[in-house]
Amino acid sequence: MKHLICIECPIGCSLTAVKSGEQWEIKGNRCRKGEQFAINELTDPRRSVCSTVKTTYRKVPRLPVRTNGEVPLNAIFAVMEQINAVTLDHPVHIGEVIIENVCNTGINVIATSDLYYLLEEDGQ
Amino acid sequence: MVRGDTVRKRLQVLENRVRKTISPDVSLRKWHSSIILEGTVSTWDQLYDAGKMCANQGYKGVVNKLKVKGLEILKIKKPQLADDFLQGKQVDVLVIGGGIIGCAIARELAKWQLSILLVEKEEDVAMHASSRNDGMIHPGIEPKIGSKKAIFNVKGNEMYTRVARELDVKLIRCGSSVLFDSPLLKLVKPVLDIRANKMGVKGISLLSREEALQKEPNIGVPIAGAVHFATTGIISPYKMTVAYAENAVQNGAEVSLNTVVLSMTKEHGRITSVKTNRGTVYPKVVINAAGTFADIIADMAGDQFFSIHPRKGEILFLDKKKGELINGVIGKPSLTQTKSNTKGGGVVKTVDGNVLVGPDAYEQPFREDFSTNMNNIEAIMQKHLPLIRGFSPADVIAYCAGIRACTYEEDFIIERSEYVDNLVYAAGIQSPGLASAPAIAAEIERITCKVLSEVMDVKPKQNWNPIRKGIPELSSMDFESRSKIIKENPHYGEIVCRCEGISKGEIIAAIHSPIPVTSVDAIKRRVRAGMGRCQGGFCLPTVMTIINEETGIPMTSITKKGNDSNIVVAETKQNPTTGGEGVE
Amino acid sequence: MNEYDVVVLGGGPAGLAAALASFNEGMNTLIIERENRLGGILKQCIHDGFGLIKFKEKLTGPEYAQRYIEQVLACQIPVLLNTFVLTVEKAGTGFVITLVNAAQGVEQIKTRSLILATGCRERTAKQVFINGTRPAGVFTAGTAQHLVNIEGYLPGKKCVILGSGDIGLIMARRLTLEGAQVLAVYEAKSTPSGLSRNIVQCLNDFHIPLHLSTTITRVFGDNRVEAVEIARVDENMRPIKGTEQVISCDTVILSVGLIPENEIADMLGVEIDAATKGPVVDQNFMTSVEGVFSCGNALHVNDLVDYVSESGEIAGANAAQYVREATPRQLAEIKMSPDFLYVVPQQININSSNRKAVLYFRSREVRENMRVTIKSGDQVLLSKRYVILRPPEMERVRLVIKDGLASNQIEITMEPVKNKEMAL
Repeated sequence: MKHLICIECPIGCSLTAVKSGEQWEIKGNRCRKGEQFAINELTDPRRSVCSTVKTTYRKVPRLPVRTNGEVPLNAIFAVMEQINAVTLDHPVHIGEVIIENVCNTGINVIATSDLYYLLEEDGQ
Repeated sequence: MVRGDTVRKRLQVLENRVRKTISPDVSLRKWHSSIILEGTVSTWDQLYDAGKMCANQGYKGVVNKLKVKGLEILKIKKPQLADDFLQGKQVDVLVIGGGIIGCAIARELAKWQLSILLVEKEEDVAMHASSRNDGMIHPGIEPKIGSKKAIFNVKGNEMYTRVARELDVKLIRCGSSVLFDSPLLKLVKPVLDIRANKMGVKGISLLSREEALQKEPNIGVPIAGAVHFATTGIISPYKMTVAYAENAVQNGAEVSLNTVVLSMTKEHGRITSVKTNRGTVYPKVVINAAGTFADIIADMAGDQFFSIHPRKGEILFLDKKKGELINGVIGKPSLTQTKSNTKGGGVVKTVDGNVLVGPDAYEQPFREDFSTNMNNIEAIMQKHLPLIRGFSPADVIAYCAGIRACTYEEDFIIERSEYVDNLVYAAGIQSPGLASAPAIAAEIERITCKVLSEVMDVKPKQNWNPIRKGIPELSSMDFESRSKIIKENPHYGEIVCRCEGISKGEIIAAIHSPIPVTSVDAIKRRVRAGMGRCQGGFCLPTVMTIINEETGIPMTSITKKGNDSNIVVAETKQNPTTGGEGVE
Repeated sequence: MNEYDVVVLGGGPAGLAAALASFNEGMNTLIIERENRLGGILKQCIHDGFGLIKFKEKLTGPEYAQRYIEQVLACQIPVLLNTFVLTVEKAGTGFVITLVNAAQGVEQIKTRSLILATGCRERTAKQVFINGTRPAGVFTAGTAQHLVNIEGYLPGKKCVILGSGDIGLIMARRLTLEGAQVLAVYEAKSTPSGLSRNIVQCLNDFHIPLHLSTTITRVFGDNRVEAVEIARVDENMRPIKGTEQVISCDTVILSVGLIPENEIADMLGVEIDAATKGPVVDQNFMTSVEGVFSCGNALHVNDLVDYVSESGEIAGANAAQYVREATPRQLAEIKMSPDFLYVVPQQININSSNRKAVLYFRSREVRENMRVTIKSGDQVLLSKRYVILRPPEMERVRLVIKDGLASNQIEITMEPVKNKEMAL
C-alpha cells in the first residue's frame, strides 16, 4: 500500500493506493482529479525542474531557468547535469530556449529572467 | 633559620587547611614569593576554591597547577598560518596580545623612537575579552580601595575624554544609576562619600525615587532611590581597540595578526628570543598583555608567579528599537565588592543605541570557550529584563560570551618582572580593564621606557601624531555632512546594511584600513555591518561581494573569522551533479 | 524638493502592483527601491508555483516579477534604485521623505500619500535561542537562497534545516539539486508549516526525512559548523531534557519565520497589530495614519504572491482615491474569535466609497469542516464552508459592505458544519 498527499487543490486529501493486477485502486480522494493525480504519480510521476545556468558575465553570474513542462521524476538529476553544463555567453530574453529537448524528454529548458535587462547599467 | 621556620609553618598551616576543606591530594610549595598548588582534585570548583584559599595570604601570587581528575584542559587554539615572515626580526619592543591593553600600550610606546611589534594569535585585534564586554567605563567605586584596579580605573576614566577624542571614537558620558529598593540604603551615602573621597571618584549623587525616575522613566521595579555616578561612560570596546592599534601603526608600530608565541629562550635572566609560528624574533623587551594566556606566556619565560582562572560571562543584545527606553547604565548590583568578584551586571545602552543586558559570571576551566548556554541566557533575562518596563525576551537579537582573565588575587599585575629583567606584565586584566586601559598603557609605557633606557637611548619621536581619524559613521551624521562625504565618494551613498544603515564606502574603508582585514566579522567589528536585527541576513552576500571586488579574494576563500571559517564551500555547477539521495 | 502624489517604498511584487494601480489612476507616482533591481525577493525565488491565481500559469518568481516590471517600465513610472529611506515625517497634508543614494547624497522629497511595501526579514538563530558557538555555516534560508541562486555558491555540503516552512522546504530541494546533502528537516511544531505540495516535491521526492516536534538547540564547531544538537520539544515547543542528540553536519539552514519590516511605519507612529506584526488597516489598506497605506508582506506574511499583488493593487488604487479626495473615516473594528490567528484588514471604513473588501485570514489550528461567518450584529455579511483550514494556508474572501451596517462591530467566527456532507 502506498500513501500519497494529493496536491491538485489546497484540501490535500490523504490518499492510499493499492495495486490490484495492473490497476491501482485509489481511496481517500474527494474528487476525480485526486484519483487521476494518484495514478499519474504512481505510474508516471513528473516534475518541473527549476535551476540556474552559469554565465560569463561577472555582473550576473547565474541566470534562472526552468523546464517548460514536466519531466519524468527519475530524470531530474540527468536534467540538472545538462543544465549545469551550460555556460551562457550571450544575452537572452525570458522564454528563450536554453536547452532544446533536454534529455530527450521533449521538454525545453527556458530562461526565466531577462539577461538583457539584468546586464543594463543601473539607471538613476 | 627562624624566619625560614615561620615561613614553612605558615605554609604548612595553609596546606593543612586546603587539604582539610578541599582535597587531601593537594600540596603547596613556595616559589620565590609566590605559592604553588600541585596535586589532583575532583572538580573545577575545587580547583578554584583551593586557589582562592591561598590568595591574599601574604604571597605575591598563586600558581595553581592542580589537575582535575578526568578533565582534559584544551590546548591553546593556534592559527593555521605558518611561515617565516618574522624570522630574524630584531625589535625594541614585543607586545604579546592584541586586546585593548596590548593595543593601547603599542600606541603609547609609538611616541618614542622604538621599533614595536605587536603579535596577536587571532585574525584580528579585539577578538577575545575586548569585544565581549558591555563597553562600560566604570566610575571606579567598586574595586578594593588601594588595589591596582581602583587606581587605574579612576585614572583611566579621567583620561578617556582626551584619548577618545584623539582617536576619533565615540564616548558618551551617560552616567550610571545604581538602584536600591530599601530606603535604609540612603544611610550608605556618607560611607560611600568617604570611600569616593579616598578613591578619587567624583560626581556621585543620591537620587530620590522621583529623580531616579526622571533620569530613567521606564524603571520597572519598585525603588526607593538610586546612587548616580556621573563619570560613567560607554564606548565601543572593539572600536576603541582598533583605534588604538591603527594609531600605533600610523606611528610606525607593526601589528602581526595570526601570530602565536610558541616558546622563549633566556640568557642571564633576560629573554633573548621569542619563537612564533611566523619565525623567531629578537626583542629588547617583552610586554605580556596576553589576556587569558598571560600565565602561560609567563611560564615560557620561566617566570610564572600567578595563574589565570577563566571566569566566563554571557551578555545579551536587545533590538535597537528598545534603546529609547533607557538613557544610560542601570544596575542593581552591590556597591562594593563583597561576595562576587564582579559586579552583578545590569542594562547598558550602547553608543549605537542597542541595549546590552548582563553579564553573568561563573568559573569554568576553558580559556577560549565562547559558547553560550540557554540556562545562562534565561537566567540573565529573568534577572535583568524586569529592570525596564517594556523589555522582553522577544527583543533579544543576539548574545555572546566572554572570558575574563582573572588572577586569584583578583587584581591587575602592572609591573616589571622581578626575575626576568626585560619582561613587563600587563596581566590579569579583568573588569574594570576597559576603563583602566589608558592609564595602564601610560604606566606600562613608563616602565618599558625605564627598562629600555638601561640598554639604549630612548628618544621621543618628532612626528608622533596622536590623532587618528576613524572610518566616518555616516548613519550618525547630520544630513549635510553626510551628503558632502557622498559627493566626494559616492560609495558612501550606497547603503549595504539596512538595519544599521552602513554604506559600501564604510565597508571599503574597513578593508583598506591601516590594519587591513578581509573577514566578514572583522569588517563587522569596524563598521557594524551585520550587527543589526537581521544579523547579516540581507547584507552578507553583498559584503562578501565587496570583499571579493576590493581584494580579489575568491568568494569561496572569504571567511567569517579567519582560518578555515569559509562561508561558502564551493561554486555551484563545477562538477557534474552527483545523484544525491536518488529519486524513484 | 520634488513632490509626488504617491510614493511607494519597496519595488517588490507589492510595491510594483501598488505603483501601477496608483499610476493608472493618474497619480504622479514614484517607487523607491533599496536594491539595484526591481523585483524584491522574487529575483531569487527561481522555483515555480507563482501566479496560478493571477495569470493561471505556473511561473517562477523572476517571471512573475517581470510581468510587472515590464509594465512599470512601459508606463515610465519613475524609480529610484539603490536608494535607502532614512526618515519619513508627517508634514502638513503629506509627508517628507529623507533618502540617500550614491548619485544624490541625502535628499528630501514630498508626497501626499505613502505606500509601505517594505516586505519582511527572516527570524534569526538567536531569536529562536539556538546556543553554542558561532561558526561559519549558519544561514537563514533566504540568505542561502541568495548565495545559491544569485551568486552561484553552495553554502555547505552536509546540511540540516530547521523549520518546515516553504522557504526551508524549497531550499532543501534546491541544495539537493545543486549537489549538497540535506540530512534532515527539523520542525518544532507537531505539524508541517509549509504547503503539502512542497512536502511532497521537496522532501519526499528526495527521501529527506522530516522530524516533527524536534528543534535545534545548539551549534558546535569553532570555525565552521561541525554538528548540531537536536532535541524533542513538548507542546509548548520547549526542549525536553534527555532527548538531545548530536548530528554531524557542516551547515545549518534556518527557516524559522518571517517578520514584517515596519521600521518606517514605527517612525510614523502607525499602529501595529501584534498578531500580524504589520499595521492595522482598513479595507483600503490605509493604516492608522491618514495617507499611509500598507501592502504585501509588510502588512502580513503571505503564502501566495498573487495575494501580495492584490493587496498592492488595492493599496495603490485607494492611495489614489485618498489623494483625489480625502474623506473622514468611520472605522468599525473586526473582532475575531480565538479560532483565528489573524484577520486582515482589522477594520472596515464604513464611510469609504469602496464597498468591496478583500479579507485575508488564518486559522489558529488545523480544522476540518468549518463554517466561517462574518456578521455585523444580526446581519450576515459572509458565510462560507471550508473542508479544511490550515494555519500555513492563508484564506481569502470577498466581502460586500452593505449600506447601513447593523452595528459598529463586525465579527468573524467559525463553527463546525452541522451536517456531515462533504462539499467540493
